[in-house]
Amino acid sequence: MAAVATCGAGAGGTESMAAATSKSNVTSFQRRGPRARGTDSGGPRLVSIAGTRPSVRNGQLLVSTGLPALDQLLGGGLAVGTVLLVEEDKYSIYSPLLFKYFLAEGIINGHTLLVASAKEDPADILQELPAPLLDDSCKKEFDEDVCNKKPESDIKMKIAWRYQLSPKMEVGPVTSSRFGHYYDVSKRIPRELIETSKWHGFFLPEKMSSADKVECCSLTPGYMKLLHFIQNIIYEEGFDGSNPQKKQRNILRIGIQSLGLPLWGDDVCCSENCDSSHSLSKFLYILRGLLRTSLSACIITMPTHLIQNKAIIARVTNLSDTVVALESFVGSERETNPLYKDYHGLIHIRQIPRLNNLICDESDVKDLAFKLKRKLFTIEKISDALKWWSRRS
Amino acid sequence: VTPSEGAAGCGRWSEMLESLLALGGLVLLRDSVEWEGRSFLKALIRKAALSGEQVRILGCEVSEEEFREGFDSDVNSRLVYHDLFRDPLNWSKTGEAPPGGPLGALRAMCKRTDPGPVTIAIDSLSWLLLRQPCTTVCQVLHALSHRTPCPGHSPAVEQVRVLGLLHEELHGPGPVGALSSLAQTKVTLGGTAGLDSAHIVFRRPRQRPIHQTQWFSVLPDFSLDLQEGPRLECQPHPDPYTSPVDPTTHLTFNLRLSKKEKEARDGLTLPFQFSSEKQQALLCPGQGQAASHIFYEPDAYDDLDQEDPDDDLDV
Repeated sequence: MAAVATCGAGAGGTESMAAATSKSNVTSFQRRGPRARGTDSGGPRLVSIAGTRPSVRNGQLLVSTGLPALDQLLGGGLAVGTVLLVEEDKYSIYSPLLFKYFLAEGIINGHTLLVASAKEDPADILQELPAPLLDDSCKKEFDEDVCNKKPESDIKMKIAWRYQLSPKMEVGPVTSSRFGHYYDVSKRIPRELIETSKWHGFFLPEKMSSADKVECCSLTPGYMKLLHFIQNIIYEEGFDGSNPQKKQRNILRIGIQSLGLPLWGDDVCCSENCDSSHSLSKFLYILRGLLRTSLSACIITMPTHLIQNKAIIARVTNLSDTVVALESFVGSERETNPLYKDYHGLIHIRQIPRLNNLICDESDVKDLAFKLKRKLFTIEKISDALKWWSRRS
Repeated sequence: VTPSEGAAGCGRWSEMLESLLALGGLVLLRDSVEWEGRSFLKALIRKAALSGEQVRILGCEVSEEEFREGFDSDVNSRLVYHDLFRDPLNWSKTGEAPPGGPLGALRAMCKRTDPGPVTIAIDSLSWLLLRQPCTTVCQVLHALSHRTPCPGHSPAVEQVRVLGLLHEELHGPGPVGALSSLAQTKVTLGGTAGLDSAHIVFRRPRQRPIHQTQWFSVLPDFSLDLQEGPRLECQPHPDPYTSPVDPTTHLTFNLRLSKKEKEARDGLTLPFQFSSEKQQALLCPGQGQAASHIFYEPDAYDDLDQEDPDDDLDV
């Protein structure tokens, strides 16, 4: 009480002082200044951006890729400021799905989108995004799925009991729906959601006029224009903190479709010793620099099966942060292999970044396969030998 | 060819050509020295012309007379021919050739004001690829097949089909792969002795590609006659997975247990499973302990000194 008295004699009583003297059963130490609002009390106000969460390993800010199964494989999600490179499958059937999941997740969370493509109009891409699954309807979907799978997966393994304790792949919906949502691929996203969201489109044939054929610093003009576009958006909308905004900070989700196609003006797919062999590497380097200094995350799909020079693929992998490759069974001899009967292709996690860390959160499982069901895209471990045996005996 | 066969053949070939032309976009015809594709291209052009469409041809490899040879007069009247064979570099400067070279001619074909589906045939894409960078050719082809509709016309009316002839052997895997990824339909011509075949791959966007093989022969008036496959079917590859070796033979353990054996097995407690009986046995060491002793014979090197060895240290 002596301390209270000396404070009162000094600079005049604050409201907390009055509160302290009036309440007899509470501690005399009260916080000065405005009352804390909600649960985010504390000196510096914790700004939490919608759709993000800190990683449990190192506190890195993560966003969801749109596929909770993929989030789990990448160690919780995609870190803000990094690039997710998806190596396309041969006929480009499944990689557009990952692209669309990423963008749809951005719309649901209210993030700003930037869609760049040389093949399709970004407005058309946005029209085809999958619709989000609401909680009760998606619970119904998973329940019927689980019922169908029950009898087989319930083999009690007595001798190999250790395998029962291994963590299962998360197939069902997570209880907290603020990070990672489920989508119904057979339905389109409602138009109102697209109209209320903020997005910027970059369609290369519109941006390139045939007049400017300036080749500067060995970067293809198409790439140069895209980098300028991204830089402008980041600067103007304040994703790099340049314009201190009064309103809530937000994430910019960038999606670049089929980078490296000849439609971008890059001949890395056309010949082995191409003139602009460093163009793609430079683009990725500059893009990563832009991303690291801003609150954005980027997904790039690249048709690496068309790139002739394998060294370029290695360079591109090293310059990206997270690399995921899709290999579909369409047209290959694996289509008839009974081991892969239930699946549509394999998914390889080629690289996971070490951000502010010495180790990375690599998953133990290397044999992962994906399957496009009527409404969902699922990623599962191939539980090969055990299932095969159980069916034969 | 009997009349009934001919009629059935006619129906089928028109169906096949319809399906080839219906998808729109770029139809890539890959031919080689042994199986030339120009006659197939002309058959497609004839079909498109007979169904009332406008056909524009960019001719680079053969002269106009040679190209028009074999077509009926009504087909010929519907063809609009841009001749690049006679004067590819426009040295005669007659002012007929459009500016911008061959790609400029292609781009000019893009811009037209009258509605209706149009077919553009390029003979050949190889000629263009050898003279222009591959990326530019790809960009122009993409612009041709996916152009934004002119204001005032509904998108359904504007359907552009580009038929491109590509001589595979002239190019490496790069340009061929790049063009194949751009194409909606890819036709590879081949065959065995006497019969031509077309292996067709339809690529609808975001759907699995459909593969189809069709045997045909091109008649002198450039109509197609569909054939059955060759008499001698080549032996199908033995499926390596249909009859695997049964691994249950010559095993050293028993895979099939009788009912009694199964019950006995289920009754066992496994060594690493911690059940309540085990817990009790560990917690209450009872009757069994009295019978167990440990006997030890000290040998010559054992030091049985009971003093604390740390006393020797001067710390």
